[in-house]
Amino acid sequence: MSEAERAGVEVVAVSPDRNEQSQRLANGLHVNYRFLADPDLSVTRSYGLIHRRGGPGGVDVPRPATVVLDRDGVVRWLSLSDNYQIRPDPGDVLRAVRTL
Amino acid sequence: MTSGRLALLSVVIAVGTVVAYALLLGVPSVRNHPEGYVAAFAIAATVAGLAVALRRRWYAWLALGLSLLLFAGGAYINFVLARIPAEPTVLRVGERPPDFTLTDASGRQVSLAEYRGKKPVVLVFYRGYW
Repeated sequence: MSEAERAGVEVVAVSPDRNEQSQRLANGLHVNYRFLADPDLSVTRSYGLIHRRGGPGGVDVPRPATVVLDRDGVVRWLSLSDNYQIRPDPGDVLRAVRTL
Repeated sequence: MTSGRLALLSVVIAVGTVVAYALLLGVPSVRNHPEGYVAAFAIAATVAGLAVALRRRWYAWLALGLSLLLFAGGAYINFVLARIPAEPTVLRVGERPPDFTLTDASGRQVSLAEYRGKKPVVLVFYRGYW
């Protein structure tokens, strides 16, 4: 991703983790990432992005998802994983961002 | 090809698949086709099966056992364990998802709505480290 694109798009990453360490890393890399903590998965659950009992000991974990929202907050591109080994190709996400 | 060579080839394919998959996990086209390693283990098992058919030696049986074990394990991981059952989601292309407010790493409250009218957002939900 070019510098201009980096400046023009905000990457918002939601996970149950406390994200201090991830944010330090992102800041160190000068990447425009914002890590948000959803420790009880309330937002993730309200979005319907739960892999029930998918974690260790049968706990619920997020279903990996990547969503491209345009300037008006409308979903323009969406990738929902149905196999946790599979993640969207960054090239596809980038192409979706470039069409905005 | 002799039974010994076929058995060796089977082991090389099986072990090579494990090593290659681990090394190339960062390459999207490899990571996103996990059925590839299952297919490679199936090939290794077929080659070992040929080795056994040729000569019923211990090394041929060993190669067959190893490759079948990896095939069964790989198929279980990919087709059962890693599957995420589809649940209804609020996300639809062309629609605006509900707003939310969460805390960022510095303790600041961040709402999705604050980007509206300002910049596009790539919103990522990930599993985090357990």
